[in-house]
Amino acid sequence: MNPTAEPVTIALASIPNSGKTTLFNCLTGSSQSTGNWPGVSVEKKSGIFPLGEYIVTLIDLPGAYALSPVTEEEQVVRDYILNSPPDIILNVLDAGNLQRGLGLTLQMAASALPMVVAVNMMDETRRRGITLDLKALAQHLGVPVIEISAKTGEGLPDLKEALYEVIKHPEKTRIPHISCPPLLEKAFFQITEAIGKSSIDTRLDHTFLAMRMLEAENQNQWTSNEKVAALTKKWQRHLKQSLHTSFPVVCAGCRFNAARGLAMEVLGEQPIIEDKLSRRLDHIFLHRFFGLPIFIMLMFLLFQGVYGLGAPLQEVLSVAFDRAGSWLSSQIMVLSLSAGLQSFLLDGIWQGIAVVTSFLPIIALFFFFMSLIEDSGYMARVAFLMDRLMHRLGLDGKAFISILLGYGCNVPAVMGTRILTSNYSRILTMLLIPFTLCTARLQIFVFLTAIFFTSTIAPWIILSLYGCSFVAVILTGFVLKLFRIGGAPEPFIMEIPPYRFPTLRSVGLRSWYEMKDFLFRAAPLIMAGVLLVWLLSHMPTNVPPASAATWAGQLGQILAPVFQPLGIGWQETVALIFGFIAKEIVVGSLAVIYGGTDLAGLMGSHITQMQSISFMIFCLLYTPCVATIAAIWSESRSLRITLISLVSGLTIAWLTSFIFYQSGLLFGFH
Amino acid sequence: MISAQHIPVSALLAQSECIIRSLGSNDKTSQRLAQMGILPGTHLLIIRVAPLGGTIEVNDGQGQSFALRQQEVAAMACEPVAMPLVSELVVKGETYMIRDLCGGKTFQQRMAVVGLQKGGLIQIREAGVKPIQIHLVDTDRQVSLGKGEAKKIIVEVINHESNS
Ligand SMILES: Nc1nc2c(ncn2[C@@H]2O[C@H](COP(=O)(O)OP(=O)(O)OP(=O)(O)O)[C@@H](O)[C@H]2O)c(=O)[nH]1
Ligand SMILES: [Mg+2]
Repeated sequence: MNPTAEPVTIALASIPNSGKTTLFNCLTGSSQSTGNWPGVSVEKKSGIFPLGEYIVTLIDLPGAYALSPVTEEEQVVRDYILNSPPDIILNVLDAGNLQRGLGLTLQMAASALPMVVAVNMMDETRRRGITLDLKALAQHLGVPVIEISAKTGEGLPDLKEALYEVIKHPEKTRIPHISCPPLLEKAFFQITEAIGKSSIDTRLDHTFLAMRMLEAENQNQWTSNEKVAALTKKWQRHLKQSLHTSFPVVCAGCRFNAARGLAMEVLGEQPIIEDKLSRRLDHIFLHRFFGLPIFIMLMFLLFQGVYGLGAPLQEVLSVAFDRAGSWLSSQIMVLSLSAGLQSFLLDGIWQGIAVVTSFLPIIALFFFFMSLIEDSGYMARVAFLMDRLMHRLGLDGKAFISILLGYGCNVPAVMGTRILTSNYSRILTMLLIPFTLCTARLQIFVFLTAIFFTSTIAPWIILSLYGCSFVAVILTGFVLKLFRIGGAPEPFIMEIPPYRFPTLRSVGLRSWYEMKDFLFRAAPLIMAGVLLVWLLSHMPTNVPPASAATWAGQLGQILAPVFQPLGIGWQETVALIFGFIAKEIVVGSLAVIYGGTDLAGLMGSHITQMQSISFMIFCLLYTPCVATIAAIWSESRSLRITLISLVSGLTIAWLTSFIFYQSGLLFGFH
Repeated sequence: MISAQHIPVSALLAQSECIIRSLGSNDKTSQRLAQMGILPGTHLLIIRVAPLGGTIEVNDGQGQSFALRQQEVAAMACEPVAMPLVSELVVKGETYMIRDLCGGKTFQQRMAVVGLQKGGLIQIREAGVKPIQIHLVDTDRQVSLGKGEAKKIIVEVINHESNS
């Protein structure tokens, strides 16, 4: 490799689900998420690979149907192309979905940036018995067209060679001729002229720029030239009055007229054949009567797969950590430290590491099974099946899976909101997941109901808590929808891809990648939370940990007036503060706070049934744990959303417990 | 002559086909559709309705099928091309051609016995009677069918402008 060679930037651009990320991983050897449904990648990622004497930076852009943005992903793509035009565009076409893909190809070609077209999924096309006349395509577009299969790696050497040639001898792409209504042509012409006269320095074709400006609300981000902006505004107004349909729709019409012709030429006489296997499978999976039962069964399997396999693993880890902890505490090195430092190491740091590690098995399993569902193409079917239900909340069907998995553990569920298509759904779902009754909360409920209720009533109490959680999710959904947190919902129009065989490599890589991501992004926040609670419960150092005299105890007593109307005493308030680390330790901390061996007896004499239920309701609805908050923060990257989640959880928990307890008192229970 | 209309949600049944004439007035939706190449002139074939209703799977003959909400289709102006015989779009007195008989062997046999076959011309002369009375144009006969059977008969509008 020649280190002095100029760096080259190549951007992958195509419509969603055509295999960009698969190709990206192939070329750069990275492990970004792929999935067999549109909208997997939502932000641009970059990687590096050597090509001859060049070092190529490859940019994986999210899928976009066009450069006139409807979705946020499309905005990312448009802004990238306009603000930092790559040296070469590598356009990927799905051979089975040519016409839709060509719409974007034509639009990209109009930028005049050097371009290479890779026709992907040739393995599938061959299986379906379709032959494509790619020579004709290359001739029409005037750019190299290479057939590849990113999954099997075939055709990649040819692709690399073509890219190399284009880097060596870059050539402006010939602007495809697309006929437009004369009025539009006139607008393009005038604005192009104005751009030419202005001092805008760009490698993009001026007419291409003119079109993008006409579509945009605000031209100032690309030009400071007043004349161009004013002219564009004038034309926008004029076009709005004279065209029956909106400007981007008219342009799309012109583009697809050309795309249709091109697709016909490439396909020749062959009719577009759907994938037979997919049609047969959909007959079963989307069946009018069997579709939903099959879905429920698969969800049950998914749940069992993640938590049935994950819980024992977590158990093993937790035992191992306890053992290692007690071993550590008996070491001379540790014993020689002061008591405070010992506790900081063991109850603070060590506990934090244990909490972080306990999530790893379920996160790995969760994403393993999720990638199976995604890569096979079933996820798109789920979105279709459950759309009606979730639409009421302004969400699409995929959000259903995220929320459902929250009933196991909130943390991977929040991380999984990445699969949702729009920012709106992601934020909304993220805010709803904390109201699900996760297994850690279930442990508290099982323990407490066993103390306060007979074995015939206890299951009903737990069942009602599940009901309460459902209602909380739905009602909060409606309220959040009203407030439009997360912006406006996007229209739900989703391509349904053919079923595909997931590869072990992509599924394995995905789990690995997500675990790494969790460790880097959420784990530090979890550690910080654990240490904070350690500090509260161990300061000042001269009193027994978690007793009334510690900061936590004092905080509990300060907060007592707030919790008194809910029938929650200061001891339970302290436990709630601990519950912020993880709900698993609520019961344990109650034992420390009550300071006796017979926790059940002590609590039973201290607290009434009503008070215990009020406490459980609060536990159900307030912040699940620091790990969930950390996940929400790292997924949303917004302090606002994280705060909204915290505050809404606490408020709803307080209000619900209050209403429950006070109305209970009114009716004479206690 | 049947012209473009807003097809009500209740008539968006599986196996119905229509031609889009206008994408409707919602900017975001129409722009999204246009970017996917779904434009005025595109034929939409409804493959199925979701089990819970509300959402449909549609094929536009360009490659992959896609899902969208019935409301979105209802907001477009469309020209019906084909529909099940039970659809409310079937106009009394209009002549239709049988496009498809979607059923098992017994159903096919029974249809053959009463004289219904692909390509045959039929009319409905009385609306809202049960069992459904079908007039066979070719043989000038009347047959009566149950609703379950009529559901499986897909008819096509004739004299359709884009029909060759
Ligand atoms: N059969 C076959 N499948 C492929 C090929 N390339 C990609 N796929 C599959 O196509 C699906 C989509 O691939 P992705 O790489 O996620 O597509 P993308 O273009 O990045 O999609 P978005 O990020 O949603 O825009 C995955 O299930 C891949 O396994 C191929 O050459 N042949
Ligand atoms: Mg991708």
